[in-house]
Amino acid sequence: MEVWKYISQRLIQIVVIFFVILTVLFLLFRLAPGDPVSRMVDPNLTPEDAELLIRELGLDQPLWMQYLYYLKNFFTGHFGNSFHYGQPVVRIIWDRLPNTIALFTTSIILSALVGVFLGKIASWHKGERRDTCLTLGALITHTVFLPWLALIMIWIFAFKLGWFPITGMISEEIWLDPGAGLWAKSLDFLHHMVLPLATLFLIHFGSYLLIMRSSMLDTLKEDYILTGRAKGLPEKVIRNHHAAPNAALPVVTSVGLSLAFSINGGALTETVFTWPGIGRELVFSISHNDYPLAQASFLLIAIVVLLSNLVVDILYAYLDPRIRY
Amino acid sequence: MTVTTLNTERKLSERFHWIGRLLEGWSIYRKSLLGKIGLTLVVLFALMALCSPIPPWVSPMYQPMAGVDPDISYSVGPSTRHWLGTDFMGRDILSQLLAGARIAFMVGVSAAFMSVFLGTTIGMIAGYAGKFMDNLLMRLADMIMVMPALLVLLMLAALFGQLSIWFIVLFIALFRWPGVSRVIRAQTLSLKHRPFIEAARVAGASHLRIIFRHIMPNVLPLSFLYMTFQVTSAIIIEAALAFLGFGDPGTVSWGMMLQWVWKTGHMFRAPYWLLPPGICISLITLSFYMLGRAMDEVLDPRLRKEGETD
Repeated sequence: MEVWKYISQRLIQIVVIFFVILTVLFLLFRLAPGDPVSRMVDPNLTPEDAELLIRELGLDQPLWMQYLYYLKNFFTGHFGNSFHYGQPVVRIIWDRLPNTIALFTTSIILSALVGVFLGKIASWHKGERRDTCLTLGALITHTVFLPWLALIMIWIFAFKLGWFPITGMISEEIWLDPGAGLWAKSLDFLHHMVLPLATLFLIHFGSYLLIMRSSMLDTLKEDYILTGRAKGLPEKVIRNHHAAPNAALPVVTSVGLSLAFSINGGALTETVFTWPGIGRELVFSISHNDYPLAQASFLLIAIVVLLSNLVVDILYAYLDPRIRY
Repeated sequence: MTVTTLNTERKLSERFHWIGRLLEGWSIYRKSLLGKIGLTLVVLFALMALCSPIPPWVSPMYQPMAGVDPDISYSVGPSTRHWLGTDFMGRDILSQLLAGARIAFMVGVSAAFMSVFLGTTIGMIAGYAGKFMDNLLMRLADMIMVMPALLVLLMLAALFGQLSIWFIVLFIALFRWPGVSRVIRAQTLSLKHRPFIEAARVAGASHLRIIFRHIMPNVLPLSFLYMTFQVTSAIIIEAALAFLGFGDPGTVSWGMMLQWVWKTGHMFRAPYWLLPPGICISLITLSFYMLGRAMDEVLDPRLRKEGETD
């Protein structure tokens, strides 16, 4: 039961945080210099249509009524139309969401798994050459400037060697071809995904490796490891079954703490690789003054970050018996 | 008479003690290879920043922002006249790179100083006051921690127009204090019930005096350590913002140089232009990070367990 209490507590916290974000965003849109109406109503609309939209968004009402309208529109999914695409914003971001989630979750899971595995090896061979190489490599890839790494990856692997496509997520000619099967389509998608995924992976696995290494070194000093050795357990069992699961807990915490950082990186990666995700849509809409789209993508990103935080919390509760019992 | 000599003697020994601790720390630091590399690199970057006024002083065509070579109006490779080549308008890349070092230091150090100052103060207050205050401040910290700072800055840029470099610095500081304050709070909690704090309280010291006179000296080394990590993240956020085209248009930063390469489509044609700014950002981040890890060894490797975010 403890675990449910813990999770519901976190859930309430997340809902509160989200309401604060919603409210701050609302206030910012009204506080910023310039006319708030022009920010939500497409300048290309006819006066009648604009009038209708103003009424629908409640922009002719006093501020507190506007806030209620804003909340109502949020929960019913009315974000207005994108200035640039001319379509409802919801449809656009709904389209982009799976692409972001595919890239984001794969990169985090992959880098955490590899980071934990390599960190385990590095700590086990502490002070040896293997450890030095892994730690130094992790330090360097962890601190490389992400957009620059993305550009270099494109330059080497897509431009010079031609192994991967330079940008985008799919090739039009394959996806529009009615003869192409699902197999060809998914292969094409994966082919496009390799470079952005590799970039995100390189940036992230280093920090997990470093945390796992230091946490593992701490764990190896514990008494139960000594007990295991005294019992004559094989070294492999001690490493993989006694030390590693306990040492991995701080990694889970750090995944949670670095989610905001990862989503920043995700937006940068999507932008450089023109991967059609929400992060890129946010950057694009901001450079084109497409306020309704910017607002909605920002809120969606906030939801993604908060929900993944919740997932990490649940995972932590599951892994740490001190919370479970 | 005797009282004053005693006082000066004590002050001298106190000062001496402080220097002794520093020297002791330095002797541990010196043994760390990471620390030596990091420090050397940071000094090199500082020299770059100090050299930034030299090229514009040699000739106005070396002005990083406005200076244009009269004979060149496109990007050319390295030559004796432009050691690292020129950008798409014929501006000198080396002088831009030097100016970028100055901006990186300015942004990194000032944002780090502000966020550590905020984080330390808030952490001490939360840890010392406890109860309601602690809860309030830490929930606020949690809330800020889940926000992606770069995307929030982008949103502000959209609403308020071009952001000035000082606004960016201030904003990074406002977004980066929670990590510091958590650690300082934990440290304060462990100090709070030590006998010397109880003694000060019994002696009638006010809360403020206890916080700033007795707790602060004990958490400052930790704050200082955190400053190096904050420098790296501040530099990265500013560079990323500039790379996306939302930097302060009045400054030349490395992120902005990368944006120019990328946006003008020179990234496949001009490696002499693409490589230097990226290498500089990555190396300065790496060097401050190494500095921090080496300092960590000096202080206590167990103090920082979860501070590995970014």
